[in-house]
Amino acid sequence: MIDTIHTLNILLPFFYIFTFTIYLFDFIKDESKVYNAKRVFLFVTLFSHVIYLILRTIEFNHAPITNKFEIFTVLAFCLAFSYFLLELLSDIRGTGAFIILFSVIFQVISSIYIQDLIEVKEVLRNKLLGIHVISALGGYSGFTIAAVYGALFLLLYKDIKINKYGLIFKRLPSLEILEKLNFYSVLIGFILLSISILIGVLWLPTAFPDFSYIDPKLISVSIVWLVFGIGILAKLMAKLYGRKVIMFSLAGFIIAMLSLVIQNVAATSFHSFY
Amino acid sequence: MNLIGISINHRTSPIELREAVHFSVEEQQQFIAILKSNILKEGFVLSTCNRTEIFGIPKSNHISTKNLFDELIKFKNIDTLKIEHIENFNSQNSIKHIAKVASGIDSLIIGDSQILSQCKESFRLSVNQDFSDTITRKIFDISVRIGKRAIKETLISQGAVTVSYAAIQVIEKIFSNLDKKEALIIGAGETSELAAIHLNARSIGKITITNRTADKAGKLAKKVGGSTIEFSEFKQHLHKFDIIITATSAKDFLVSYDDIKSAIHKRKGTPIFIMDIAIPRDIDPKVKKIDNVFYNDIDSLNIIVDQNLQKRKHEIPKVEQIIEEEIEGFYNWYNTLGIVPTIKSLRSFFEEIEMDELSKIKNKVSDDDYIKLEEMAKRLVGRILHNPTIKLRALAESGEESKAEDHTSALKYLFDLDNLPKNGKN
Repeated sequence: MIDTIHTLNILLPFFYIFTFTIYLFDFIKDESKVYNAKRVFLFVTLFSHVIYLILRTIEFNHAPITNKFEIFTVLAFCLAFSYFLLELLSDIRGTGAFIILFSVIFQVISSIYIQDLIEVKEVLRNKLLGIHVISALGGYSGFTIAAVYGALFLLLYKDIKINKYGLIFKRLPSLEILEKLNFYSVLIGFILLSISILIGVLWLPTAFPDFSYIDPKLISVSIVWLVFGIGILAKLMAKLYGRKVIMFSLAGFIIAMLSLVIQNVAATSFHSFY
Repeated sequence: MNLIGISINHRTSPIELREAVHFSVEEQQQFIAILKSNILKEGFVLSTCNRTEIFGIPKSNHISTKNLFDELIKFKNIDTLKIEHIENFNSQNSIKHIAKVASGIDSLIIGDSQILSQCKESFRLSVNQDFSDTITRKIFDISVRIGKRAIKETLISQGAVTVSYAAIQVIEKIFSNLDKKEALIIGAGETSELAAIHLNARSIGKITITNRTADKAGKLAKKVGGSTIEFSEFKQHLHKFDIIITATSAKDFLVSYDDIKSAIHKRKGTPIFIMDIAIPRDIDPKVKKIDNVFYNDIDSLNIIVDQNLQKRKHEIPKVEQIIEEEIEGFYNWYNTLGIVPTIKSLRSFFEEIEMDELSKIKNKVSDDDYIKLEEMAKRLVGRILHNPTIKLRALAESGEESKAEDHTSALKYLFDLDNLPKNGKN
């Protein structure tokens, strides 16, 4: 089994790079020959990734969330899988390259640095922690995808405003669709992050004796949750449209990323598991 | 092949002349009758707002394109149309030209999608008036096939090439679903009508027309299944519309920056697409600075039109390749025409023998046996004639005319095909 894990670890970056290349090729060339094939390649990549994650969990007897590089591979999967679901639901296939690019980056870094960890803290084998971390990663994946759609919205918005009818204009879906995709991604991300926070608040105090409500990670995640929550409310209640909503989600994403960096680089707390 | 034709088109003559030469359907029918009685054995007349084409097989070798031109002048009674305003075509050039016309690469707007159906219509008219025979029918077939292949296999008809259609492309990059959107059309002229028709074709939710002359607005609204509002009141309703298209002949701005600013405020930022195709413009172009207002005028939409026309131009070589392939196929077919009578005669000769021999034994065998013998005789003749027919046809298609002629002469001599009625009863 360990050999299969190592082989998949080497293959996965190539699978992602290949899938990304096909999506990019289709975006640039609008090549009908790969229009359907690219989804098949994405499916094969995701299927291989699921096998890889399951094998790792079985072989090392813990969910792959015990260090940065294990989290990176889960993040790569979450991003690609979320995009796959969005593509299936919306049948909008022109934006994959922009999202799979993130999966490529995370998977390449993970594949280079990941180690076969058998000895981990006992708390990291807890199933609730697994759900807590994976739902948080799902939440961040949602926000990342929302940010990508937000950026694409702004690019297309600008091009239409200045009457520039190039590649962006030709290949991207309409502003209304990009805005919808952005909002749905935010909504899914927000729900998953809410689940993660809920599990954290209920379970963490029992699992960690030194638990604190003024933990930096908890505070920053709460801020991120609040920013997106206000954005969603503003969109639903005040019926805001377009750039303002997009700017909100982009601001939320930037805050989320900054908080992740600060937590991992500067802050130390019970919340650091490795 | 003696196919001749004349063409009056956008390259050869100004619009006034093209309009003067244009045939209505009734005129086409009358003109075809004249051509049929005086000049052409078979042919067709194609007439659109941009071109008139008259082609056919002359009744005698003395008839030329000059006769077609003279007949046209006489029928239309146009003094201003001179010989330099027409293009003349003979033989192979004629077929190539017809193919180019049908494929849209010879149109004023390259890849014009209407020309193929106009060609089909004129071919249909020719068939209906008994003005077509084997050769012209084959030309109709390949022209239509070329037109269809050009659309299917190339990008010659892709992309918007009119300002109002280009506007639809931009609208579809802003809104995902037009069936819930409302459009206001200010003005009821030809341009407004075209825009309204395009929107209607895209199943826009609602079209409202406003015009200084309410009658005209009413007529256009009826045509596109829309409604009207008073011209004096339309500004108060601007916020209700997702799309505003304006094409009036007003000398000053009809809609100001503040009008649109107020409308977008009332819409809480929901986008408005504005297409100002009036000259001079009807809407203050400063509105493009307002968030979620997408303003386009003729110049900006022409960017899309030019881009698409360039793309279509790049597709011309691909269409020409299709034309070459189909014309080669046509000549292969045409070359076999000479051997067809010989093949027919040969088949008749053998069938006569078959019938004759069968009749001799009809009363000597049972009915069941006769049927079996009849089937066997048919199979026998079929198998004997299979190879000569295939080989002769292949020889003709290869273009080796003298060789094909030698073989057909040999067949005629050996089986005495020129005196066929006697042969079978030997």
